[in-house]
Amino acid sequence: MDFRPAAPAKAVPSGNLGRLAFGFLAVCVASGVALTPFYSPAHALDSLERLQGGLPWGFFFRALHTYSAFGLLLAAAGHLIQVLAARTERQLAGPEWWRSVLLLPLLVAALLGGFVLRADAEAAAALPVWRHILENVPLVGAEAARLVLGAGIGDPGAVTLHHAGAFTILLWLFTSTHGGRLLPDRRSTILAGLVSVALAGTVPLALGSAPGAGPSASAGSLLLGPWYLLGLQGALVDLPVAVGWLGPLALVLLLGLLRHARERARRLLIALAAAWIGADLAFTVRLLLLAKR
Amino acid sequence: MFKTASLISAVLAGVLGLFVAWGHETARARSTGKGPEPAGRNERCLTCHVKASEDPSGAHASSALGCASCHLGNPLAFEKERAHRGLVREAGELSTVALTCGREGCHPREAARVSSSLMARGSGIVAVDRWVFGEIPSRDSGETIQKVLAAVRPTPGQIHLRKLCGGCHLGTLRGNRDDAIAGNGSGCAACHVALHAASDPARPHPPVESRVGDDRCFGCHSRSGRISLSYEGLAEIEPRQIAPPPAPCAAVTKLPDGRPACRHEPDVHRAAGMSCTDCHLNTELMGDGTLRAHKEEQVEVTCEACHGPAANETNWGSVEDAITRDLLRLRGESRPPLERVRLGRRGTPLWNLRPSASGWALAAKLDSRTLPVKPTPSDANHRMKGHARLSCSACHAASAPTCSTCHTRFDPGKKQWDFGAGHETPGGWIEDSEGFGFAHPALGVRADGTIVPAVPGMILDISSAGGPSSAHRLFAPLEPHSTGKRARTCESCHRSSVALGLGTGALGLDGQAPTFTPVKPAAANSSLAGDGWTSLFPETPGLGTRTGFRSLDAPEQLRVLTVGVCLPCHAKVSDPIWRDFRLSLSRLSPKSRCPFGQTTPPWILHTNADTSVRVVSTSDTAATIGFN
Repeated sequence: MDFRPAAPAKAVPSGNLGRLAFGFLAVCVASGVALTPFYSPAHALDSLERLQGGLPWGFFFRALHTYSAFGLLLAAAGHLIQVLAARTERQLAGPEWWRSVLLLPLLVAALLGGFVLRADAEAAAALPVWRHILENVPLVGAEAARLVLGAGIGDPGAVTLHHAGAFTILLWLFTSTHGGRLLPDRRSTILAGLVSVALAGTVPLALGSAPGAGPSASAGSLLLGPWYLLGLQGALVDLPVAVGWLGPLALVLLLGLLRHARERARRLLIALAAAWIGADLAFTVRLLLLAKR
Repeated sequence: MFKTASLISAVLAGVLGLFVAWGHETARARSTGKGPEPAGRNERCLTCHVKASEDPSGAHASSALGCASCHLGNPLAFEKERAHRGLVREAGELSTVALTCGREGCHPREAARVSSSLMARGSGIVAVDRWVFGEIPSRDSGETIQKVLAAVRPTPGQIHLRKLCGGCHLGTLRGNRDDAIAGNGSGCAACHVALHAASDPARPHPPVESRVGDDRCFGCHSRSGRISLSYEGLAEIEPRQIAPPPAPCAAVTKLPDGRPACRHEPDVHRAAGMSCTDCHLNTELMGDGTLRAHKEEQVEVTCEACHGPAANETNWGSVEDAITRDLLRLRGESRPPLERVRLGRRGTPLWNLRPSASGWALAAKLDSRTLPVKPTPSDANHRMKGHARLSCSACHAASAPTCSTCHTRFDPGKKQWDFGAGHETPGGWIEDSEGFGFAHPALGVRADGTIVPAVPGMILDISSAGGPSSAHRLFAPLEPHSTGKRARTCESCHRSSVALGLGTGALGLDGQAPTFTPVKPAAANSSLAGDGWTSLFPETPGLGTRTGFRSLDAPEQLRVLTVGVCLPCHAKVSDPIWRDFRLSLSRLSPKSRCPFGQTTPPWILHTNADTSVRVVSTSDTAATIGFN
């Protein structure tokens, strides 16, 4: 069911990665639904261990869920680059553009939520970092942290709720609104599914060490966050915690303003966004080097 | 949109993915434990470790604590590799003790203290050894064995420690541990886990217990001062001494690590059925949080704590400290709030010593047997003038091990295990001697003036360790743990060259001055016996392995020998001359004769005439010695 009339052919020059992203979202949601009965936030690590080693094909469905989410992120990012390259951002109305841009932080939040639900040593370390960043936001920080991460320190219950509920519903809603259809097309869904299956089978997904499983489990190694936030983690090694929310906010603003900028300003904004990504990559490399030491 | 080719490629990749995943699934199903998950427990270790012999049972049974409480790892994992990630094989080892035995809710107080204990730090051995090598100025440096083992560029003294002594401390791990304690665990487990039976192929989990058997102490303490051996009535000998064995040897036996040993009388406490922990307090063994330089500083219990007179006892208290209360609780015991208890030197209660109908009784910690404790009799032996400075063991130590002919040399061409590196490294220390002995110990004087048993600590030559050669003649203070109910005889001190620290030889007391002729003079100094500590009437007393510890000085030797002259005729302690020996001496004249015709040696009269005597030692060095 379409929410809006189909765009003219010339108005859809942004490649097919957007549709593929929707396909990945569908695979991700479906595999997530399959995992839900086996996950309990009260016994988060136990649930993951059971999925990973105790249930037939549990590891596969978990990997399917994870790789489809990564596929969603990469396809969405690729789609954004296609849009900017084709200069088609003005085909969307202002509010719709901003809503589409907001898909990115929403998607990252959903993915980060999934990372935290692993409840292994890295996830257990990531949760307080996330809370600390949120709480650093002036005025609304403390409440936002309670809303997103819950009141109980170290309890992934609220994150579970948002990961499986609020974030997913919003993602689907914004994506379907943006794509002009409630469901992804069959071909994209099949392609996304097959890619996810191929990755889930051939690149097994590891689970980190249990928190407090002994010093030798993590001795000498830095606990790393999710790969898509390594740049931010690297920046926070030296920079103040405010960078944790100012950085992403800056990128969202840069992308959002692109829709309203004239030619020179647009070039400047794109240059700034590129610089942001370059810095992010640099911080990622530095963090990885630190972790390797 | 998507081309058919890309779809076909994706289908092929997907099929490949499913095929590989099927392989993973098969491997997963094969590697997971098949045992039932324990109901109500959030651990899966027992799905693989299904054998009952893998359970320590008792208070630490897996049904009570699980496995991960002690061994860490990931108890939720289904697969071996994940489950064992972060596993601590030797639970209780000191580097992870805060996460295992010392975790909140278990034994945090004890674990926090144990790293401060001398058994963990080994600082006494380190300091004396490096001082002997001339590397540090003090015998009380406090340097730990951990620091020695971690030294990047070890000094000769540190190499000596790393190759010979570094394998016996609480921080040792399996595979890098002295042979003598190969069966022990590490850290807390070194004492609280029963020895591993290496020959048992089933490798059962040894029990974990608060009661510590003497076998755990035996490994480390059967070396150096060999107090575990002496306590058991054993004395190490060299293989070449087996036939014929040294004189007091009742029978020759073999120690668990293969060393030959002689059987003789065990310590009177051992004969009564007491174990090491019946006397030694938790603060001595597990530390009390204070860093101490030497063993005698760490020890808190005293003979007087049990055998002191019942009256005038100031060392009283009650069971109030948390660890003692824990110990009692673990044993299902309690103490009435007002029950007074005797205390160690630093106030730790001897909770197993209790008043009884007949006086005092000691509850054996291993088997809870009640043993009567007899107070020291207030008889003439224990009230004799001039004996006030003697420690109990100075008289009651029946024997002590002696190794007075050690030679330690460094062979750079040899390879030897390095406990710091954890593997063999070039260079090896070689120790050899002409044989061990066990006999009444010599007597030495501690810095506080107390006279205690002394044994050869380091009579050794050190040659070629990258440094200059050196020779040392140091005795060490020792509580030999060979207590006899009967004290050594008066003659064994007052007419014994060994007791005076002179070594084996002939004492002449009847001439113009006392003389000493060693049986086997030291190579470098003919006035010294090869096994001696000092010479007769030395200008400066022999040095010890502790600051201030020395041999008897010349006035002390003179006093001892003066008594010795009279002993053949006045052997009984009740003899009137001993009531006031100074007065008895003042009554002597050159014409004085004993009823048996003995004449008075003139050097005794000198002491009486002007409170000083000029004596000549075998080295022809004259000395004027006061007698007061």
